[in-house]
Amino acid sequence: MAAPPLLDREFLEKLERLTIHWQKSFPGLVGGHNKSRLPGAGQEFLDHRNFHYGDDLRAINWNAYLRLEKLYLKMFQVEPRVPVRMLVDVSTSMTAYSNGKFDYARKLAASLCYVGLVRLDSIEVHAFSNRLGHRISSSGGRHRFPGVMDRLGALTPEGPTDYMAVTRELIGAYSQRGLVVIISDFLDDRGCERALQYLADFGHELMLLQIWADEDRTPPWTGELELRDAETGAALKVDFDDTARRRYTNAFDEYAALIQTMAHRSGGRYAGVATSQSLESVIFGDMIRMRGIA
Amino acid sequence: MYFLNLSLLQMIGVFGAVSAVSVALYLLDRSRRKQVVSTLRFWVAAEQPTVAARRRHINQPWSLLLQLASMALLILAIAQMRLGAPVLAGRDHVIVLDTSAWMAARSGNRTLMDTARRMARDYLRAVPARDRVMLVRADALATPVTPFEPDHRKVEAAILASEPGSTALNLDQALAFARHAQGQDGRTPGEIAFVGTGRTAEREPGSAPPPKNLRVLLVPDAIENAGLRKVGLRRSASDPDVWEIYVSAHNYGTRPRNVNLLLDYGPPNADTRVPAASQALTLPAGGDAEASFQYRTAAAGIMDVKMTPHDAFPADDQAELELPAEPHLSVTVYSDQPELLRPVLAAAPRVNAVYRKPSEYRPNDAGLVILDRCIPPQRPTADSIWIAPPAEGSPIPVAKTVENVAFARWDTDHPAAAGLRTKDFNLERTSVFDVPAGDAIGEVAAGPVIAARAGSPKIVVLGFHPALSPMRYELSWPLLFANLLRWMSPEIFLRSEVGGASVGTVKLEVEDGITSKDVKVTTADGSPVPFTLHDRSLDFFAGSPGSVRVLAGDHEYMYALTLPQLWDSRWEPPPNTHRGIPRFDAVLEHVSDIWPWLALVGGAGLLVEWLLYGRFRMARFAPRVMAHNAAAPAEVRQ
Repeated sequence: MAAPPLLDREFLEKLERLTIHWQKSFPGLVGGHNKSRLPGAGQEFLDHRNFHYGDDLRAINWNAYLRLEKLYLKMFQVEPRVPVRMLVDVSTSMTAYSNGKFDYARKLAASLCYVGLVRLDSIEVHAFSNRLGHRISSSGGRHRFPGVMDRLGALTPEGPTDYMAVTRELIGAYSQRGLVVIISDFLDDRGCERALQYLADFGHELMLLQIWADEDRTPPWTGELELRDAETGAALKVDFDDTARRRYTNAFDEYAALIQTMAHRSGGRYAGVATSQSLESVIFGDMIRMRGIA
Repeated sequence: MYFLNLSLLQMIGVFGAVSAVSVALYLLDRSRRKQVVSTLRFWVAAEQPTVAARRRHINQPWSLLLQLASMALLILAIAQMRLGAPVLAGRDHVIVLDTSAWMAARSGNRTLMDTARRMARDYLRAVPARDRVMLVRADALATPVTPFEPDHRKVEAAILASEPGSTALNLDQALAFARHAQGQDGRTPGEIAFVGTGRTAEREPGSAPPPKNLRVLLVPDAIENAGLRKVGLRRSASDPDVWEIYVSAHNYGTRPRNVNLLLDYGPPNADTRVPAASQALTLPAGGDAEASFQYRTAAAGIMDVKMTPHDAFPADDQAELELPAEPHLSVTVYSDQPELLRPVLAAAPRVNAVYRKPSEYRPNDAGLVILDRCIPPQRPTADSIWIAPPAEGSPIPVAKTVENVAFARWDTDHPAAAGLRTKDFNLERTSVFDVPAGDAIGEVAAGPVIAARAGSPKIVVLGFHPALSPMRYELSWPLLFANLLRWMSPEIFLRSEVGGASVGTVKLEVEDGITSKDVKVTTADGSPVPFTLHDRSLDFFAGSPGSVRVLAGDHEYMYALTLPQLWDSRWEPPPNTHRGIPRFDAVLEHVSDIWPWLALVGGAGLLVEWLLYGRFRMARFAPRVMAHNAAAPAEVRQ
C-alpha cells in the first residue's frame, strides 16, 4: 500500500502565490526574481564607474565620453538565479516522540520546494545527519514537484547529528553562495553555533527553521525518570517535578534564543516551529512575518 | 444481604494485605519511568540535587494516603461495621418445648402443657425483636416446627398449637438437634431454652453434657400418678378358646395406691360390652403390680382394660385391645370310604370337615375339597387334594402306572414335605405324574407320585391312597396331611398373641430360625413399618398410637399401642445452668448500620484520588500545560 502524499492538492494551491525571499545580494546569471546589489547583465541601470582595462567595451557610455572625453562604464542591476539549498535534518533525534518532528520537517521542506518550483527557483534538498546525504535537485517548474515529494517521502532517519562535518562537506562541495534553509531541531551535543557561523561567514544567507515537539520543550512526565538520548544512547536518571520542568523549559528557550541571535547577527532569519502547530499557520504566519517568503 | 462479617482481626488482616498490594502497586506505578528523549542537554540543566531526589521515593504521598484511607473505609463497609454491641446483636435462639406424653397430666385446672406454653411465650416475649427464634417440639423425636424465624408472632402461634404427644421425652436428642441447628446457621448462636418438666426417657450412659448456652424453664409437676404399663393376651395352649390375660401396672407417685382393674369385653361399641373380670391391686410407691385373668371366647371383640380410680393423668388408666376371631378351615371330603380320612382331619383342631358321597359333589364348595379316588364332573374352584385319581381325570397328567415299587425319596425343600423322612415302604400300585421338578413332593424310582401345583387354586395329587398302602403304618401319613393343610391354609396354624403397650420403641423376641424375610410388620391400614432383627430381637418404632401387626413365621403378634410412654427418670439440670425468663440488654435494640455511609465515603475518596492523581489526568491535562507554555516561544521567534 502506497504511503499517502506529504501534501494534499488544496494546500499546494494555496502555496502558489508565495515566493521565497532572501536579503543578501548574490552574484549570478539573470533569471531570478530577487534583485541584487551587484552589477551584472541586467536591464535596469544601476550606476557609472571609471573604465578599467579589460572591461567590456559594450558597457562604455559613449555619450559621456563625447562630452567629458573620459571613459565611464555603465553598470546594470541584475536579478540573478540563486540556488536555494535546503538542509533537512534526518538524525534520529528527529524521530523521538513518534516521528513527529521528522514528518513535520519533510512536509515543511516539501512546501518550500513547491513554492520555489512555482517561481522557477533552483532547489537543492540535502538530507543530513552526521554527513551530507543525497542531493535532491529540482528546478524548472511545478511539474517537477511530484518527483521531489516522492524522494522526500522516501527519506529515512539515521545517525546522530554533526553540524560541523556537514558544514565542511557543504562548503567544500558547493562554492556558490546562496540561501541555505536548515530545517532541524538543532540538537547537537557538540553545538551547532560554530557550524552555522561558518556557513554565514562563507557567504550564505541562513534561514533557520527549528522544529520541536511539545515534549521537547515541556516534558509532560513527573517523578523519577530514566532518560536515554535518542542519538547517542546516553542515559540519565533524574527526578522531575514542576520546578525542574520550569528549569528545563528555560534552558530550552535560552538555546532557541541563542540560535535566533546567531541567525539575526549573520543577516539570516529564524523561526521556531512546534509540531502541534498546523503547517498552514507556519507557512502563512510565522514565515511571512519573518520575511522568509512573501 | 450479608456478604462478609469480619471480626476485628480479620479486618486488620484483610486491610494489611490490601494496603501492601496497594503500596506495592503505587511504588511500581510511581517508579522510575524509562523514556527516550531527543537530547539530554536540557535535562542536565533541570536535574534535581541528588540528596533531594533520594528522599522522595513517594512523589505523591497524598495520593497514597487517600487511597489507603478509602480502601480502609470500603473494608469497614464490607465488614458491616455497626455501632453498639454487634457481637450480641442478631442472635438465633432455639426453644425446645417438651411435648411428651407426661405433659398431658393435669395440675389443678390446667395441664402441664398449658403451663409450658405460657412459659415459652414469656420467654419469646423477652427475646429482642432483632433475634430469630426456632421452635422445636421434643418427645421421643425432636421435630422443628419453625425455622429461625424473625417474626415472633409465627413462633408464638406454633407454641399455642403445640399439644402433648404419646412418647417420652428424649432430652439428649432434642438438645443435640438444637445445638446442631444453631451451628448450621451463619449468625451468632443465642440461647437454647428448654421448657418442660425434665421427666425424660432413660438416658444412655456417657451422653454429652448439656450445652453452655442452655436455659431451663422447668414446669413444676408434683403429681401422683399410677397407670397401666403393659397388657398381654394369648390363647391358652390347652384350650384355644381361652384367652390368658396379663396386666402390669405401675405407680409413678411417692405414695402407695389401691386400684381396681376392670376388664370389659364386647363389640367396638363400648356401651354394649359386658364385664369380663375385675381384680383389686395395691401398688407400692414407685413399684409395679401384676394381675392375671382368663376369659373364654372364640369370637372377635374388644377387650377394655381399665384402672380405677382415675388420677391426674388418665391417659394411662385404660387400654383397649382388639381380639381376633379364631380361624377355621372348612374341608369337604368326597369319598366312599370317609373313615380312611377322618382320623387325620380330626387331628387338626381348626378344621371343620364335612363328608359327602362323590355323587353329592358341588363345584362351589369353599375352603378345601378332598376328592378320594373319584373324578368330579367339574373341577372345584377351591383348593383341592386329589387322592389316587383315575388317570383319565387327573388334574396333573399321569405319565404311567407302576406296581410294587419302593418309595424313593421326599423333596424336603418343598414346604409340604418338611420333616418327612420315612421311605422304607413299598407301593403296590401308584400313578407316576409328569410334573416339573419343583412340584414333586414324593417320588419313586420311576418318578413323582405326590405332586403339588401352586397358584390359585392350589392342587395336590397323590398317585396312591396312603391309608390303603403300607404308609398308613408310618408317621409320615398324618405329618404329610398336616403339611398339606399348612401349605394350603397357613392362617389356621398361626399362633396369635395380643399385647397392649406404650408407643415408642417396641422390642419383641421371635423364635429361632426366623429371618427378615419371614417377618412382616404392618400398621392397621397395611402400610409397612421399618424394623430391625438382630439375633432373636425384633425392634420397631411407633411414634403415634395405633395397632401394629407383626407376622413372624407362624406367630402373629397384635400390638395395641395406645398407652402413653412414661418413665420414672427425671433430668436434673447442672447447677450453673441459666434458669428463668432472661432480661436481654436493651442496647441490642439500638444497633445501627453505618456501612452504607462508609462505602459511600470510600468510593468518593477513590474517585477524588483518581480525578486528582489518575493517569488519565496526565494524558488529558498535560497537552494543556504544553499548549499554555507554547505561547512563550513566540517571544523567542520575535
